[in-house]
Amino acid sequence: MPEPYTIRTTWEGYYLDGQSAVRHRAVVSLFSYGLVFSTEDGGSHSWPYADLRQTQGFHADEPVRLERGGDIPELLVVPEPAFLTALSQTAPQLATRAVRLRQRRRLWLRTSLAAIGAIVLVMALYLWGIPVLSALVASRIPLAWEERLGREVVAHIAPPEKQCTDPIRLRFLEAIITTLTGSLPEQPYTLRILVVDDATVNAFAAPGGYIVVFRGLLDLTGSAEELAGVLAHEVQHILQHHVTRLLLEHASTGLLLTALTGDVSGAMVFGLESARLLGTLQHRRQHEAEADVAGLQLLLAAAVDPSGMVTLFEHLHEEGQNAPRFLHYLSTHPNTTQRIATLKALAGQSSRQFRKLLPDYDWEDMYHICAAPHP
Amino acid sequence: MVQAGGEPPREYPGDGMAAEGRTIAFYGRGGELFGVFLVNLCLTLVTLGIYHFWARVRVLRYLWGQTAFAGDRFAYHGTGKELWKGWLKAALIFGLPFFFLKNVGEFFAGNLPLQITAALLAYILVLVFIPIAMVNTRRYRLSRTSWRGIRFSFRGRVIDFIKLYLRGMLLSVITLGLYIPIFAARRHAFMVSHAYVGNQAWQFHGRGQELFSSFVRAILLFPFTLGLSWFWYTAAKRRYFWNHTALATARFQCTVTGGPLLLFTLGNLLLLLCTVGFAWPWVVVRNVQFALRYLTFVGDLDLASIRQDVQPASAIGEGFMSFLNFLDTGLDLG
Repeated sequence: MPEPYTIRTTWEGYYLDGQSAVRHRAVVSLFSYGLVFSTEDGGSHSWPYADLRQTQGFHADEPVRLERGGDIPELLVVPEPAFLTALSQTAPQLATRAVRLRQRRRLWLRTSLAAIGAIVLVMALYLWGIPVLSALVASRIPLAWEERLGREVVAHIAPPEKQCTDPIRLRFLEAIITTLTGSLPEQPYTLRILVVDDATVNAFAAPGGYIVVFRGLLDLTGSAEELAGVLAHEVQHILQHHVTRLLLEHASTGLLLTALTGDVSGAMVFGLESARLLGTLQHRRQHEAEADVAGLQLLLAAAVDPSGMVTLFEHLHEEGQNAPRFLHYLSTHPNTTQRIATLKALAGQSSRQFRKLLPDYDWEDMYHICAAPHP
Repeated sequence: MVQAGGEPPREYPGDGMAAEGRTIAFYGRGGELFGVFLVNLCLTLVTLGIYHFWARVRVLRYLWGQTAFAGDRFAYHGTGKELWKGWLKAALIFGLPFFFLKNVGEFFAGNLPLQITAALLAYILVLVFIPIAMVNTRRYRLSRTSWRGIRFSFRGRVIDFIKLYLRGMLLSVITLGLYIPIFAARRHAFMVSHAYVGNQAWQFHGRGQELFSSFVRAILLFPFTLGLSWFWYTAAKRRYFWNHTALATARFQCTVTGGPLLLFTLGNLLLLLCTVGFAWPWVVVRNVQFALRYLTFVGDLDLASIRQDVQPASAIGEGFMSFLNFLDTGLDLG
């Protein structure tokens, strides 16, 4: 015989008056307008639902806590979870979270879906959102700011006393750049080339149009075409705002990681910095790949033989196996063999007629660019 | 022992009676906190970080609400808005001047004395900010904590702690670090002895000198144990602090030791590394469970004597120094 269904009308809980820590056992009854409870000392209280708010009882097994009053409220605590269900039926406007208890079985599914969603969101931001936003912002940064940043960088790495200022030879280098950029549409940058008297085999671009080449790298080039490859690559770094983009990407990756890990402490800080660095290196690799391809296309557009660029890279790579210092230029640009392969493939596709860069100039003369005394 | 899950026991000997070895119960679960964490993450990302303060409140509200003493849960009353305003104030009053002082060196490229002054001022600013932040955080957090509706409070004066802190830093440097355990004890004494539950004060009876031998032992063994000896000092310090803390007529007892603490910390590190930080909610829950596993509350506590005693911020009586409390309406670091 089925058990008769009993409707529970009273609940046991306790009352706190907000003035002392003593709690009073209470028996609570629910009505349509409010609840009424009586305490063990005989007191009776009537609380309309409009005066109440639920502050605890949203999680499994958590006692339901109802508060009434302002800064120092009176409290009614009922430990039984079924009370919440009854409350939500009698006063739906009050116990809005009661529904959650019934859906607890589906909670794990929803949590897993939310977790996957969060992972997808984070990956999307990292792989697509951050690079795209950084590119957008970087292209809108005023030229004056970029030039100021570039000047700062150059002042640190290529101070005036270390620069080779031979005007005639510098003019030849500037002529190469002019040839390269001749095929480009209007662009706002004043491209300036600086040579640093240092044996390091490296070159880099600073925002605002500064291209810095170290004597070490210059000494390794066998022809104007080989240097043109490096210059085309660096010009593309400037035109595509790579340095500014990297700064923005670095900052946003840091923010993303902080949001991801909430409270950070101790070992997590170290882990975060490593993750951030990895992220930045990844963004950097993308920039290098872009500059490679766009640089080679620039060479082709200017009718300069691109095989020079490939030759130089191969030369640097070979030398680098024996002496690490040769790898400086390439080591900050990883995946060298792949880059050379990509460049070769692109170069091989073109069979145009090329013009010789600086046809009346003996390239070996360029090695003396730093021979003159510095200011 | 810690009761994890299940309803709080309904049988109590009645308020005001003795309870040998009463424990603080924690019902929190990593899975539930993970749910809170996920929502926080999504909203923080979508609002580009602004939600961070509200996210923090949700976490603390969960943790406080899952901790219970004598069958009643604690409650956290902080709000995201207060935390955000507190952060703004701190950023404006300390962050900006500090940033300015740190970078002003570029403008004084040739002027060495001015650069040194700027660097010194920046350092002093940080040195003064730390104690101010610590006291204000404590005051805020305690004032937003309640148990059975009774609010906690902190009544220590910021200026006293600044003096204690600066003096402690100086002595630690002068004594080449030997003063450190005593400094730690004095800081803890300040933080505990000015804390109140309603109208009942907490007391701390410890003096740092008793920690000294354990500190020296940890330092001497440091190179031989690859730094692991520090866990034994940390455990000893925790035991000492809790065993000398009292609330009215009841005292605490802590039994944690170095070995379990070391293993526990390693476990946390492994968990975080393997999950790229996603296991953070479980680490938080583990931390609370671990701490409470070794903590008991011994002696009578006449609950009827604890009465509400809400302290408005301005009543700390600092006179012209009251501006030092400007952060106590919304700073909650660490």
